[in-house]
Amino acid sequence: MIRAESLSKQFGRIQAVDDINFHIEKGEIIGFLGPNGAGKSTTMNMITGYLAPSSGRVMVDGIDMVESPEEAKKRIGYLPEQPPLYLDLTVDEYLNFITEFKKVPKSRRSADLDAIRQLVKIGDVRSRLIKNLSKGYRQRVGLAQALVGNPPLLILDEPTVGLDPKQIIEIRELIRDLGKEHTVVLSSHILPEISATCRRILIIDKGIIVASDTPENLSRRLSGATRLHLLVKGPVESVRTSLESISDVESLSVSTGPEDGVAEAVLEASGAKDLRESTFRSMADADLPILQMRPMDLSLEDIFLNLTTQEEAVN
Amino acid sequence: MTALLKKELKTYFLTPTGWIFMAVFLLISGILFSVQLVFSQSSQYSAYLVSLLFLFLLVVPLLTMRIFTDEKRFRTDQLLLTGPTSLWSIVIGKFLAAFAVFFITIIVTVLYPVLLSFHGTLDWPMIVGTYAGFVLLGASFIAIGVFISQAAEGVVGAAVLTFCALIITFIIDFLRPYMPTSDVAGLVWMIIMMMIPIFWLFRAGKNIPITALTALILAVALAVMWLTGRDLFTGLIGKTLGWLSLTRRFSSFSIGILRFDAILYYLSFTGFFLFLTVQDLEKRRWL
Repeated sequence: MIRAESLSKQFGRIQAVDDINFHIEKGEIIGFLGPNGAGKSTTMNMITGYLAPSSGRVMVDGIDMVESPEEAKKRIGYLPEQPPLYLDLTVDEYLNFITEFKKVPKSRRSADLDAIRQLVKIGDVRSRLIKNLSKGYRQRVGLAQALVGNPPLLILDEPTVGLDPKQIIEIRELIRDLGKEHTVVLSSHILPEISATCRRILIIDKGIIVASDTPENLSRRLSGATRLHLLVKGPVESVRTSLESISDVESLSVSTGPEDGVAEAVLEASGAKDLRESTFRSMADADLPILQMRPMDLSLEDIFLNLTTQEEAVN
Repeated sequence: MTALLKKELKTYFLTPTGWIFMAVFLLISGILFSVQLVFSQSSQYSAYLVSLLFLFLLVVPLLTMRIFTDEKRFRTDQLLLTGPTSLWSIVIGKFLAAFAVFFITIIVTVLYPVLLSFHGTLDWPMIVGTYAGFVLLGASFIAIGVFISQAAEGVVGAAVLTFCALIITFIIDFLRPYMPTSDVAGLVWMIIMMMIPIFWLFRAGKNIPITALTALILAVALAVMWLTGRDLFTGLIGKTLGWLSLTRRFSSFSIGILRFDAILYYLSFTGFFLFLTVQDLEKRRWL
């Protein structure tokens, strides 16, 4: 659906996007993840034809964006970071304008709009001025705008930013629904946002793609060692000696815990060994009651930080 | 294009902009109508229309200042530029909407000569001619405003710059007689004028060989012209300023003559500024 070939964009001396390549299949829901200013929006603006690339090219459905922009743009619904709304119009006036602007055939206009209004749940604000709408509703009207004309490709730049938790969940569900019929590309700088909806993640940092995989694979790839977090009742020293006796423990740190007479330990196994059972037995043999045991897989959040921050910057 | 035209027209009359434009224009023209024609019992209607020209200075910036600046401010340009339409149809749609507001206002003023005609005889061909010139001149001014609203950053900046640009087109005619007329001055003027496209070419492509080659070709052409037809350069500054003077060509209309070259001049002037607007829109994608 989208093919980006050595895509670059410079703003003066700033290299916003640096020679990136990616391919997005039809029907995928894909997430661009990266810190603020990583080049996500710039990439999206190049895919949608708002900005022309400094070098490289974008193909949408096999059509070159620079060569035949009008054909390519017909296939894209775009919700920019700030929804492009005319504040002086009512929701209905705005959407009517969009249907005309996007050249939806007259016979389909009202049926299409009804379906979209129902999908994004803006039926109850149809005749209100957009400037009087809340942020959540504005975002939905922006999304409605992107859906007009039923384009096969949806590009959504930070679709949930500024929404309350309930609205976020609604929008996520909506995006998942849309993913059944559309190819969806969305961006976020917040991880759960992406892992909740996307089947593939492109992590972008400083204008380059640092990783591209499914959320599960990313998680597995980076958490080679299985780690456990323990709270054990007993003196620090005896806890340490018993834990050291367990085979397969690669690294170990024991310190005084949050409560009196409780030791806190973090142990890491070599390879993908499961330490839970051997830890239980060794603690039981030493008569040291385990108060809490928690596996510490690297979360996607950790991966994100690992991939996109320099080592000294990580806490 | 029609979608944008309709939306823009609607916005003009949903927001104060369109109403303020019409109110200011009709109020001042009404006052002048009463003072110049009714109270003094004169039927010199086309002379009255000519005296209305200065109104353009005040109202055209009002009409055009928001056209593209607001799109940029509210980021709705992202919608227009990623939609399945060409840049030309965006620019023309917006231009036509502003022009339509202006045109409707002008139509309202047709009431004045109709009122006058009950009390005396009017020179209708002259009035029609003046109106034709008025509409063409208005189109040119609006095109300047459209371009400036695209090139400028804020609404206020666009309004002030449009005002200044329109003033320049007015005073250029007064300045013309005071320009040096010698052929050397004409040559210097031509060199300066040629620097502009060369500089533009360099900015656009950053390609030194091509820029240098173009400069060389232009320099040779200029040298040939200088050697063969020196008198071409005499009074050249005045001539080029004359090309830019929008008001000068208006005079033939106000005596009831529809000159083809003048009509063509206004239409191509309008087209040129709309072309510049399209170029600026395109340029911003490549920045």
